[in-house]
Amino acid sequence: MSQTAVISTSAPATPRAAARSNSSGFVPRLVTGLAILLVWEIVVRTLAPAYVAKPSTVLLAIPRVLVDPAFLQALGATLWAVSEGLAITIVAGTAIGVLMGRSDTFDRMIRVYINGFNAMPMIIVLPLFSLWFGYSSATRIATIIFAAIFAITMNVADGARSVPREYLEVARSFRSSRLSVLTEIVLPASMPYLLAGFRLAAGRALIGAVVAEFFISQGGVGYYILYNSRSYHHNEAFVGVLLLAGFGVGFELLVAWATQRFMPWYRRDEKTT
Amino acid sequence: MHLTILRRHAPLWLSIFAGIAVWEIAGRSTSAAFMAPFSETLVRLWQLITRGEFIAQFIDSSELFLTGFVLALAVGAPLGMLLARVRVLRIGIEPYLMTLYATPMVALIPFILSIMGFGFAPKVLVVFLFTVFPVLYNTVEGARSIKPELIEVARSFRTSEWALWREVMLPYTLPYMMTGVRQAIGRALVGMIAAEFFLSSTGLGQLIMGASQDFDTAGVFASIFVIGLIGVGLTRLGLVIEQHFARWRQ
Repeated sequence: MSQTAVISTSAPATPRAAARSNSSGFVPRLVTGLAILLVWEIVVRTLAPAYVAKPSTVLLAIPRVLVDPAFLQALGATLWAVSEGLAITIVAGTAIGVLMGRSDTFDRMIRVYINGFNAMPMIIVLPLFSLWFGYSSATRIATIIFAAIFAITMNVADGARSVPREYLEVARSFRSSRLSVLTEIVLPASMPYLLAGFRLAAGRALIGAVVAEFFISQGGVGYYILYNSRSYHHNEAFVGVLLLAGFGVGFELLVAWATQRFMPWYRRDEKTT
Repeated sequence: MHLTILRRHAPLWLSIFAGIAVWEIAGRSTSAAFMAPFSETLVRLWQLITRGEFIAQFIDSSELFLTGFVLALAVGAPLGMLLARVRVLRIGIEPYLMTLYATPMVALIPFILSIMGFGFAPKVLVVFLFTVFPVLYNTVEGARSIKPELIEVARSFRTSEWALWREVMLPYTLPYMMTGVRQAIGRALVGMIAAEFFLSSTGLGQLIMGASQDFDTAGVFASIFVIGLIGVGLTRLGLVIEQHFARWRQ
């Protein structure tokens, strides 16, 4: 079972690493950022057709897109679907994960499927889901859940399995009920793992939402990007990409913050090395 | 001894058989447009294999996968070590790297399509973009964790820069790089299918798309089943590679 521990906890602790070098890096970062933008601008201006997005025109498009009701609606739809999907995923994923972690029989019964589905490239289920759920937002939710749930389940299972035996023995010798052992020992002990799983799951959920919108032309940020880039409005479409990147980074920062705020005893750096 | 082996493995086989049974029953009791039973899926899979359709698409996909993957490795690994070696460069680039790592790369596919069109190159680019960041990121992490003493000792023996890279940086970084490779394998597979879905339809992606457009449910299930198995196999391979190299990371 040590294999699965490697899978789920060895994802790099990105925000922490960035925070460590935060102290003296402002000037080189600014210079690099400007250099990247400049190279991009020059390359596109000299080599690419006029519709291709470049920093100057994307910048001009930002205010226009941000007040565009169509864009705001798309944004709302995607965000809502991702939150809904992630909420379902966290509840269901944690439940299955705790069961797997605490019951060896259940674990052996179900692990082969969890590992198998987790190893599948998630987007291959799209044709099937669109067949099952039709060209509706249900397909998007289903894709988000499928993309995200296994990351949470596997991490929570690791967490629930790693509860120190002494804690459980103490609880038993005080005759605590199974329910209170679960809610007061197993779940809190699995929290850091749940958060690590959530970090992976949130990124995958975002990908799932975008891919589903591409595939079934369901209104959302992904479809907004697809539609605008097809009609050669690359600048507007790129604002959508920037926003998605912002969500991706936002999720990372949120998890890093929550880990430090609520679980100061848990140091991911020590666990990964 | 025999009994413990039996007790360990029996639940696994039981659960596989139970899964197949559920699949078979669900497939038979719902409409054929909705789900194909396991037996029918296997028959369809056999047809795909014997007709040579599957092999051709598999080779097609493999070319895409390998080209993108090798390119990502060839760019990501040296660049990662360079970033770790040159401090200013690393501090400057790291936040942007992190942003790109967290960006859902699928969102770039429509741009790639409308700028580069339908050839082989845009698809390789998609696989490359999905793959390069985990490799790059883990290599930087690894090369950064080299103990400064190692480099100082090498320096005090007047090691050349090239020898330093070959004898210290590369061996030390390799296990981390392989963690990146393991993570990248899964992503490359997603990138490959995404490219085959949304750019020109070829390979294993085309196999599913074609089947679903023909309402050939058994074909859809057969393709998903096979691609799932390929995914499981590649993930296993990634773990084996990672653990092989992890042995010399103390």
